[in-house]
Amino acid sequence: MPISTQPESFARSTIRSFGTPLLSVLVAFVLTYLLQPLFPYPFLFLFFGAVMISAWFGGTGSGLLAVLLSTGVVAYFFVPPYYSWFISTTAEAYFVAFVLCALAAGWVSSVKKKSEEALEHALDQLEVRVSERTAELLKTQTELARLSQLLSMGQLTASIAHEINQPLTAVVTHGHACIEWLSANPPNLQKTRQTAERIIQDGTRAGAVLARIRALFNREAPAKDLLDINEVIHELTTFVRDEAIRRRVVVRSELIPGLPKVQGDRVQLQQVLLNLVGNGMDAMSDTTGPRELVIASRAENDEIVVRVEDSGIGLNQETAEKMFDPFFTTKPHGIGMGLSISRSIVEAHEGKLLASPRPSGGAIFQFTLPIRQRDFNA
Amino acid sequence: MPETRPTVFVVDDDASVRDAIGNLLESVGLRTKMFASAEEFWKASRPDAPSCLILDVRLTGASGLELQEQLRKVNMSIPIVFITAHGDVPMTSRAMKAGAIEFLMKPFQKEELLTAVRHGLEQDRVQRNERAEIAVLESRAAQLTQREREVMDLVVTGVINKEIGSRLGLSEVTVKIHRSRLMQKMEASSLAELVRMYDKLTPRARG
Repeated sequence: MPISTQPESFARSTIRSFGTPLLSVLVAFVLTYLLQPLFPYPFLFLFFGAVMISAWFGGTGSGLLAVLLSTGVVAYFFVPPYYSWFISTTAEAYFVAFVLCALAAGWVSSVKKKSEEALEHALDQLEVRVSERTAELLKTQTELARLSQLLSMGQLTASIAHEINQPLTAVVTHGHACIEWLSANPPNLQKTRQTAERIIQDGTRAGAVLARIRALFNREAPAKDLLDINEVIHELTTFVRDEAIRRRVVVRSELIPGLPKVQGDRVQLQQVLLNLVGNGMDAMSDTTGPRELVIASRAENDEIVVRVEDSGIGLNQETAEKMFDPFFTTKPHGIGMGLSISRSIVEAHEGKLLASPRPSGGAIFQFTLPIRQRDFNA
Repeated sequence: MPETRPTVFVVDDDASVRDAIGNLLESVGLRTKMFASAEEFWKASRPDAPSCLILDVRLTGASGLELQEQLRKVNMSIPIVFITAHGDVPMTSRAMKAGAIEFLMKPFQKEELLTAVRHGLEQDRVQRNERAEIAVLESRAAQLTQREREVMDLVVTGVINKEIGSRLGLSEVTVKIHRSRLMQKMEASSLAELVRMYDKLTPRARG
């Protein structure tokens, strides 16, 4: 198709360049010839029109051709002596004026045409750029939306921290009061009983907050999209790159290519990864040795295994069990909910999240996700 | 002057935390008054007794720091122990600079709170005694005549009667009369005591 259009458009442009001046000058000649007897002076205005039309549609070249043709026709037919190329001295000035006016008309017309074309071109380009920018903005917006979903976990934890810290404070304070009432002489048993009841109330309240959070992740079944886990990890590592540089942590990915897909909720899984990576970085904040974080993926039996390793302070077997309990934390400002929530998410994906000490120092967290597509309605 | 029982005010918008603090203070024999907001505390009448304020930083309505600022503006001095669930360094230093006794993170330990509260009550007791004493001295000084006041101003700087007389254009005998009258009115038994009283009366004038 493109090959055949080339000569076609060439032919069309040739016709336009030569045909327009020929035709328009012919029309001007015929009309002028017919109208001439009505006027006492040489009536030549129509030729200017022919020149302008030619310059407009055919460009400068066509305009000049029209000027040439008009000049010939006018000299032969309409300037005395008639029917001769010769021009009398009296008509000379008039004839020169005509030629100059024709040239001017052609020039004006072609310049105008050119600027109009430039404007049109600029408009087209503008339209292209606008659509490009719109696409770019849409992409940024999608990225931002994903980012805010990831960050919302951090905000959630902050607000949970406050909600849980209040009843916790009450429990601790009542506990102290309880001992005081008991230590009185004689012990104030009524007050002791009242205080113990309050402790139960406040403890229950803290538990209710916790139950709400867990329900948040359990109740709504996670999305069941088919995911390439490496892609999920890759997106996350891009997200934490700046933070890693700031903390002087080297993040290394060991992703086995071509892993089977898993079913799950991209954002929730990234929240788990973000939590593990964040914990890993925190664990290395006081490390004097190399700070290395490894994120690895592989397939094993019917499962995808994702492993996050750090070279931080590490953990002992006892801590490894406790750390998934709500409120367990080793961080001065932590509330101990991250791993508990992460485990809930992984379990909702029918996987397991485990921690173990790393033989060369540091800790290993790994979670599994089933590969086989299961019948969730069964 | 019989001293009324010291009172601890607790301002926290969380009812369970407020109750717990009240319970703990009560268990060690302290009298408490509870408020759910800064505004509530502001409006309440306070007993004339040594007191201390346990104040949560984050409150519904005006914050704890705003209440502290407000109290300072009206020159209402009460020692403040701040409690907070999420204190940061700038917030803590702002509160401490404005004269807070202590800044405790929730959940706090019993001793931290009680030590701070006792410290606050003691500070308030001292300040209240001081203020009461000054009030008495001021009422005595108010009985002095203009001339007696002038004589006192010179006496306390150690100028002898003769010199005082020549400076004020009085005879030495007249100065002696003014002097004994003012000692009576001020209830000072010696020059040393008068000087001490004078210091308390005009602490700011003497740089």
